[in-house]
Amino acid sequence: MSLSPAPKVRASECSGKPRLQAIWLIYIREMRDQLRDRRTLFTIAILPILLYPLVGTLLLQIAQFTRQHETSVCLVGTDHLQDGPPLLEGESFVESLADDKARLKVLQYRWNDIASSKDVAEETSSWVRDGTFDIVVVFPPEFASPNQPANSDTAAVQLLYNVGSDRSMVARDRVESILGNWRGGWIESRLVESGIDVEKINPFRLNDIDIAPERTRETAFWSKLLPFIMLVWAMTGAFYPAIDLVAGEKERGTLETLLCSPALRSEIVWGKLGAVTSFSMFTAILNAGSMLVTSSFVFKQIGVGGGSIGPPPLTPMLWLLVALIPLATLFSATALAVAAMAKSSKEGQYYLMPLMMITLPLVLLPMLPGTTLSAGTSLIPVTGMFLLVRALVEGQYYFALLHLPLVIGVTSGCLWLAVTWARRQFDNESVLFGGGEQWELNMWVRHLWRDRQTAASPAQAYACGAIILMALFFGKLAVTQAPQGLAGISKLVLTPQIGMILAPTLLMATMLTTSLRSSLRIRMPHWTTLPLAVLLGVTLHPMYVMLAEWISFTYPISEQAVAAMKPFTDQISAAPWLTILFLMALVPALCEELAFRGFIFGGLVRERGRLRAVIITALMFGISHGVLQQSIAATIMGLLLGWIALRTESVLPGILIHFTNNALSVSMERIADSQWEGAVMFVTATEAGPAYQPMWIVTSAGIALTCILYFSTLPPKINESETDYLDIDGNLSDSTTTLATA
Amino acid sequence: MIHVQYLTKTYEDLSRGPFIAVDKVSFKVGSGEIFGLLGPNGAGKTTVLRILSTVLSPTSGIATVAGFDVARNPADVRHHIGFVSNNTAIYDRMTAWEMVEYFGRLHGMPPQKLKQRLEDLFGQLRMNEFRDIPGAKMSTGMKQKVSIARAMVHDPPVLIFDEATLGLDVLVARNLLSVIRSLRESGKCLIFSTHIMSEVEKLCDQIAIMHRGRILDTGTLKELRDKHEQPDFEELFFGLLSNHEQQETSDWNAEYELDTAIETVGVEK
Repeated sequence: MSLSPAPKVRASECSGKPRLQAIWLIYIREMRDQLRDRRTLFTIAILPILLYPLVGTLLLQIAQFTRQHETSVCLVGTDHLQDGPPLLEGESFVESLADDKARLKVLQYRWNDIASSKDVAEETSSWVRDGTFDIVVVFPPEFASPNQPANSDTAAVQLLYNVGSDRSMVARDRVESILGNWRGGWIESRLVESGIDVEKINPFRLNDIDIAPERTRETAFWSKLLPFIMLVWAMTGAFYPAIDLVAGEKERGTLETLLCSPALRSEIVWGKLGAVTSFSMFTAILNAGSMLVTSSFVFKQIGVGGGSIGPPPLTPMLWLLVALIPLATLFSATALAVAAMAKSSKEGQYYLMPLMMITLPLVLLPMLPGTTLSAGTSLIPVTGMFLLVRALVEGQYYFALLHLPLVIGVTSGCLWLAVTWARRQFDNESVLFGGGEQWELNMWVRHLWRDRQTAASPAQAYACGAIILMALFFGKLAVTQAPQGLAGISKLVLTPQIGMILAPTLLMATMLTTSLRSSLRIRMPHWTTLPLAVLLGVTLHPMYVMLAEWISFTYPISEQAVAAMKPFTDQISAAPWLTILFLMALVPALCEELAFRGFIFGGLVRERGRLRAVIITALMFGISHGVLQQSIAATIMGLLLGWIALRTESVLPGILIHFTNNALSVSMERIADSQWEGAVMFVTATEAGPAYQPMWIVTSAGIALTCILYFSTLPPKINESETDYLDIDGNLSDSTTTLATA
Repeated sequence: MIHVQYLTKTYEDLSRGPFIAVDKVSFKVGSGEIFGLLGPNGAGKTTVLRILSTVLSPTSGIATVAGFDVARNPADVRHHIGFVSNNTAIYDRMTAWEMVEYFGRLHGMPPQKLKQRLEDLFGQLRMNEFRDIPGAKMSTGMKQKVSIARAMVHDPPVLIFDEATLGLDVLVARNLLSVIRSLRESGKCLIFSTHIMSEVEKLCDQIAIMHRGRILDTGTLKELRDKHEQPDFEELFFGLLSNHEQQETSDWNAEYELDTAIETVGVEK
């Protein structure tokens, strides 16, 4: 057999930049592949088209059943209805008492008709139980007795119904309404008999007037519900294709085939991301559309909202589609990155379910009453976009425009992180070919001990962070009383700092690494960085205070929380200064820096994880503070501390900055109240507390910026403990790659 | 065409610690040659081929394909190779024609020329009868033919076959070997990994015997037979493997004794 040569292609096309044509090709293939998959089609297209009309039909049937079916009512003891306004008119209830007489079939018994031969309670119960009547109303002899107090138990009218029967429950609602009206008649007649003018017991009337613009009225219901439905389905719509296109391809072996093709990894990621995003959007749009059509029809039929909820105005709803693009891309990129970790579709489902659980609160948060678009909510991913869309749909354009930059900034940042994560996953051999081994505890423990290195591994760093955060969380739950005296404050500070932050860090550094010093990044940096760190701590503090004030303004602390914290702050103000410096500045600076910028940072910075180390340690550091306002400020400060830890390759400058910052925070009041004359140049006492002088704020900002510029001139270094993975060319290779058997 | 020098690949393995899958492997393959990588399962053959196809990156060492470095110019390397794996991985929901066309387009082939190339390939590999059948409904033989067509669609100068005859029936395997021979005649550079000795004997111009990540010996069949004075290739193969295992055991013992001696000296000091 001979094979003819093929036309030559230009190898110059193999450049490092992603080619639009290749991305498009991959996108089209993935789309076609998914559209040919019956399971995907069913989940994404068929299910929403069928689901909502089916649910709608069911609702309609229930509503029709509730309205139209005939209720059989048995009245026992009608001979006791002598007094008061009439309840019955011939064979049925009085017309003015019942909304719709046609739906009620009434059978009447005199008391002795039953009581003469049987026990009334037993007999009437059996009628309801076996379905002879939907409801039985019993008027006991005491009901008619003039000596019996009307509200006594023996004189009470008894309604016998069966909660297990829908018909019986509907009957109860109808009869209760009739008896309620009848009772109203009694009250009115008795008032008249007592000589009271009925009109006088209603001193005023209530007229409620909705002043909302027509558009707001039209969209009030849909602007909350539709974004929620769309986002939930955008998430769901992204997950299944993401699993199939990555974990499924890995399982079938076709991913390796694609990786051998000239397509760049980035082209593969973009192509697949495009396909997953498209499916995510289709699912969201189809579900929202199907729900919209069905519910508009059903609501009108059954008269929900007094018939005021009709179909939403379509033009404002287009804003939803605009917002769907970045959010669907965000969900898709995250799902793609997570799915890349799985070896099979089944495993992918295990990984994506927790992701959905984490994302769901962000979608649910805007549904909570009172949650509106503000500077604070704009900063929350997904939630901010949701609220912005709601404002746009309701026509509040100026208000939305005001928050647009923040929302776009946060969404773009999250999008960038998610796409970068997905791209990195596809560049990682361990992700694409790893995971062939079965996990065994003894093997893992042996591996931990045998393969100890001078610094922590990324997994050990994550584990340390998780242990610290969990310990702090449960530790906080255990605190039920405000601290009493200095001993109480000491216990409150030292227990979490030493017991929950430092102890696990030291334990892990000792057990899992070969060098305590290297793993905690305790190294002498260039000597200039130490005084500069102190200077930076001092000059950065005014801006830190301003940041804290802005955060408190954006996310106000509740008055209850302030009141609860007051005894603690009062005790700190009253305690000896040096003791407070030790407790509130030195101890946190040492413990938190050794944990976050030491052990955890040292583990995360490996394998080209510089950005990861800075961001993750800042987030962990922020979360460890527990209170939202403090957490935000600490996260921002953590980013700077992480960056300095990277530049100086040491934990020491961070400790100095952290100490200086905390020391100034707890000393400001004392400085303002001190006898030192020079203090007024920096701090002044105001009604709201000590505040920095504006001149000093400007000057310190300039000095802080200069210090930061100096730190930026230091080259980012990789320590000797972080060179375990360096090959001879200085490239970081992936020794964590698990075995891909030959 | 292919130049491999001191190629090493290390993995982190939970049970064994850092594991060297490929250990300082070196070889060269020229145009119009079939280079056979022969070794038992776990010898490191697939890892070498995955590095050559740029799916894995080397821990150290150099590998160039068609003049391009696998670590520095992976896209160029992929443009000059065709890779056929042992798992005949093809897309279940694409027809034979669509799949080969897709990879041709990924290689940037113009539509008209690609169509002509597809017609030629489908004719030569006798694939026309199942060109419109989706992958899920194909037999193993059909799938392997599609894999070969996919690898050859852009007419690469280098073709890599990773245990390509594994799981194929005798007829399909024979047909595949015939295709590989015809590719050699057209001047292609071929690497063929297998653990079936008869295939290597029949097909390969150069043979490298691999075991536990290392190449134990390399040369033509005649050179190997002469060097080891063993006319039976199977005996030669097992002899080499057995010697290597014995040597590794003695090396390990020597290393252990050396460590013990150093510790003893250290204590005495």
